[in-house]
Amino acid sequence: MTAAWMGWYRFSRNPAAIIGALIVLSVLVMAAFAPLITPFPEHVGSVVDFRNRHAPPSSTNWMGTDKAGRDIFTRTIFGFRVSLMLVFGVLVISVPVGAVLGMCAGYFGGWAEKIITGFTNVMLAMPPLVMALAIGNVLEPTLVNAMFAITLLWWTWHARLVYRVTVSVAGEDFIEAARLAGAGPVHILFREILPNCIAVISVKTTLDAAFVILFGATLSFLGFGVKPPTPDLGSMVADGRQFLPEKWWEVLAPGFAVFYATLGFNLLGDGLRDMFDVEA
Amino acid sequence: MGRQIIEGILRRTASVLLVLFVLSLMIFVLARVVPGDPARMALGPSATAEQVAELQAEMGLDQPVIVQYGRYMGNALRGDLGQSLVTNRPVTDDIADFLPATLELVLVTVVLVFVISVPLGVLTARYRDRWVDNVGRFFSLFGVTIPSFLFAVGLQLLAGSFFPDWPILGRVDYQLNAPDGPTGLLLIDSLAHGRFDVFVDALQHLAFPALALAMAGIGQITRITRSAMIENLRKDHVLTLRSFGVPERVVVFRYLLKLSSIAPLTIMGLEFASLIGNAFVVEMVFGWGGFASYGLTAILQKDLNALMAVVLISGLFFIFANLLVDLALSLIDPRLRLRGAKA
Amino acid sequence: MALLDVKGLNISFSGYGQTRQVLHDVSFSVGKSERVALIGETGSGKSVTAKAILGTLPGNASVDSGAIAFDGLDLFRQSMAEREKLKGTAFSIIMQDPLSSFNPVFRIGQHLDDVMYHADRRRGVVSSARERKARILDTLRKVQLADAQRVYDAWPFELSGGMRQRVLIALALLHRPRMLIADEPGTALDVTTQDEILRLINRLVDDEGLSLLMITHNLGVVRQTADRVLVMRHGVIVEQGPLAQVFDAPQDQYTRDLMAAVPPLYGPGVTDQPVSDMPPILTLTGVQKVYSKRGLFKTGEGHLAVDDINIKVAHGEIFGLAGESGSGKTTVARMMMGLLEPTKGKIAVNGTPATGARRLSQIVYQNPGTSLNPKRTVAQTLAVPLAHTEAAADRQARMEELLTLVRLPVSFLSKYPHELSGGQKQRVAIARALAAKPRLIILDEPTSALDVSVQKTVIDLLLELRESLGLTYVIISHDLSLMRNFCSRIAIMLKGRIVEQGTPAEVFAETRHPYTRALISAIPVLTEAEQAQKPTVTEEERAKFLVPTGAEVSAPAGAAE
Repeated sequence: MTAAWMGWYRFSRNPAAIIGALIVLSVLVMAAFAPLITPFPEHVGSVVDFRNRHAPPSSTNWMGTDKAGRDIFTRTIFGFRVSLMLVFGVLVISVPVGAVLGMCAGYFGGWAEKIITGFTNVMLAMPPLVMALAIGNVLEPTLVNAMFAITLLWWTWHARLVYRVTVSVAGEDFIEAARLAGAGPVHILFREILPNCIAVISVKTTLDAAFVILFGATLSFLGFGVKPPTPDLGSMVADGRQFLPEKWWEVLAPGFAVFYATLGFNLLGDGLRDMFDVEA
Repeated sequence: MGRQIIEGILRRTASVLLVLFVLSLMIFVLARVVPGDPARMALGPSATAEQVAELQAEMGLDQPVIVQYGRYMGNALRGDLGQSLVTNRPVTDDIADFLPATLELVLVTVVLVFVISVPLGVLTARYRDRWVDNVGRFFSLFGVTIPSFLFAVGLQLLAGSFFPDWPILGRVDYQLNAPDGPTGLLLIDSLAHGRFDVFVDALQHLAFPALALAMAGIGQITRITRSAMIENLRKDHVLTLRSFGVPERVVVFRYLLKLSSIAPLTIMGLEFASLIGNAFVVEMVFGWGGFASYGLTAILQKDLNALMAVVLISGLFFIFANLLVDLALSLIDPRLRLRGAKA
Repeated sequence: MALLDVKGLNISFSGYGQTRQVLHDVSFSVGKSERVALIGETGSGKSVTAKAILGTLPGNASVDSGAIAFDGLDLFRQSMAEREKLKGTAFSIIMQDPLSSFNPVFRIGQHLDDVMYHADRRRGVVSSARERKARILDTLRKVQLADAQRVYDAWPFELSGGMRQRVLIALALLHRPRMLIADEPGTALDVTTQDEILRLINRLVDDEGLSLLMITHNLGVVRQTADRVLVMRHGVIVEQGPLAQVFDAPQDQYTRDLMAAVPPLYGPGVTDQPVSDMPPILTLTGVQKVYSKRGLFKTGEGHLAVDDINIKVAHGEIFGLAGESGSGKTTVARMMMGLLEPTKGKIAVNGTPATGARRLSQIVYQNPGTSLNPKRTVAQTLAVPLAHTEAAADRQARMEELLTLVRLPVSFLSKYPHELSGGQKQRVAIARALAAKPRLIILDEPTSALDVSVQKTVIDLLLELRESLGLTYVIISHDLSLMRNFCSRIAIMLKGRIVEQGTPAEVFAETRHPYTRALISAIPVLTEAEQAQKPTVTEEERAKFLVPTGAEVSAPAGAAE
């Protein structure tokens, strides 16, 4: 019985993990083909249709319309694009940076370890939301800046995690054996240690996708999101909230969309964690 | 043995000071180098250039950043955090007014998190894969997944329809004339003054915001407790006790619960920062007039002195919470206490 | 009638959609006051048998058929409550791993008291806390824990491995059971401590007239502690009979292999390795190592790990460094490899200082499970040293050559470590050490993580390689019977110093230092003849080197392990 088989067995017998994978897939598909799926793709722009403001759900507007008469269903599906862009933008930088710095801190020890762990400790002490708000605000509240602010914080979590794994791996005999066989630090970091971190990193990255979506939505809910009229799930909730409880549908669709996407990534991440049997 | 404890405390204090120093420097520099003139912001667009320059000089904005920082820290150590540009009062006075509200909310939240999630974590681990576990796991997944703002808004909406008599905004009914001091925490002050009506009212006001704030923590801590319990259930020492017929309830509730509380406590300490972060959202939704609302205004208005104070105090909150966690851990785990090493 | 009667027991485990039968039609019995040993290697099903008797089988195990009767009582027909009642009183177990057998955040006394309190309650006995404590302290003294009160109040991590093992024995004795089941007691401990533990169990079994089911993989232990022997392999009992009969005339091939794999200590079967008269390849002169303590308040005092080590290893010889845990032998080996700098003294490899000449020496680690990267194939592992020694075009051929050298098929190049057995992994580790074309190989307990039958094949391979490649070995081990046959010269270390040095024949024939005598006499052997030839240790010497006292409490147990 190989490890891969046992992992796949655990994953495939885990309905939650399968559902998670399906949800993530559906979010990706919806975002990619948004213009084809949605009934009013033009409502993504600054369209105003005052006759049809605050329309409740109907056969034309499945999820109703907002204060400018735009189709909420359409805007919600397009909203996934912003969320996924945020996820991609943040993780594509912070995961590799965090992994490399974490490995260096864990393997080299000494000053590298002191500086990197010290810095991550500082970052941990700061509420990430406050930090992102502060950074995002002193710059300008745009998606790019939000991404920048989140990235600035996010690598520290990966660094901590990879650091922890590296410290335990670096103490193993096979690292010393490789060194004795003449392997240099680059070989040891990327060929000996990194393969042992991949499982942890991929689990953490999947769970992080959920966090970034949640985090980005929270930022835009507080008014630090994408410039209107681009649809953004968090700011759609914030907009709709003003008309609660009468116009409940304006919050329902974007709110559920955030929940749906984070749920998918969380379920998938948990499934991967069980599959690889790692702590992340 | 005693030496190790003192060493541990000294090391921790040193790192606390370092963390605070780096944090404040980071925020300070960031706030000063970015565009946007605080003096101009304070005076408004109608002020003349001379007025702005005068205020800049008064605030020391014409000096190099490092000098400004030195002066700021010097003042801060003497308990002077400067003037708020928004309220036009000393920041320390503002903080004194706003902090207790947040403190009360956070304390009640932490209690709520532990009261709900530890028993739930133990139950789900004990009855793994049974219906209790499935329900508990779904519940905790919901907690981890749902964004605080969404849950807060939803809770407010539900409260409006199902508990129409319960307040969903503010800390206390102003008509009740809540007593002042001594702690600023309404739950304690009201009891100190024998005002049960205020106590009940404050509790009702707290219920929904605290639940909204706690939800993420409940989800997280339940999951951690469950997985720690499940992992420890596989250990040899469980087999030792079982082999000699010690009843399952003693094995679980005495031996494993204590051992399995290490992980959730540690995580609670680490997650404290995001709890404070979520407080910003929850306070906004429930109009909680606390320290986080103050911070949000400070950020929006580029009120630097207030922002610095908010950041520093958030950091202090985290550090203090983690000191308490460390203390609790060393009480639980003799290896930490006697060896001074992390197990 | 037998006290314990196991009949036709079939047990299987299920997991990952597959069912695996782990016990096949296992039948045996243990009489009153009889001592029975259950021998088997990893995965033979011996521990499962014990768990089935105790009633602590894991949830994914199922008893397919068979019965276990204790004193005529069919255990599988008892209610849960009735089975619980038997635990600790009818039979009890001596747990195997003393390190993890206690909950780290509860005191030793708490464990003992809870076990006693609940056993009392089940039997309807009302006991006061004070009276229970008196009984517990009595039992602790019975297992030679002189300072019982301190042990009672200690945290698990404050006790040494040997003391924890004694507490586990006390735990088994608390309620005067009629039968003890011992699961590899003392296996993880030093040989002298293990010897003490076995003597203790034997004495207790004699004194109290208990029955004993001893589960072990060590044949030497069996001779000391059993009247009758069961040999188990892959869940099947392949041979059983009285000790003398099985040991003198084993019937089953597997039993014969097991017996043959144990290196003899004395007698005609012993091998003497030739002594080399070549010039030294490795010289240690007055080597000392002090580990400094880290901390805020540095007081200057450090821990003296090894002191005044003088060793000359000649070309082509097999030099053995023997000692128990904490003796400093690993520190010496690491300094030989240039992995640690000595605080004082000189280490020269072939005349040059050790650093820089590192390529001359390689190491084979104790545990092949951790010395091979689980995420890299055999080929990738071997490629690392070859990158420095071979041209790219020759590497594939060299890898194949290396695998052939260690008697592995060439197809293994594409395998990952988890696809290999323990012995195969160790062969890959040896191939990696050979890849760099070293002159000197340090063997750090190269066989102690392997099953007995595999140990012999690895040792034979090492001997052949030395012959054909002209290698020099330094082997570090606690296993003196292995070293007796494998080494051309040995040195015995105690507390960081070499107390005795010479050829194995000399050292075993006329032992000078009392510690060496104690060490040799503690080795479990297979025959009475060998037992008779072992040196004797006076009670005084035993007390000096072996018997733990209460003073051991609060020694940093973790540091030594």
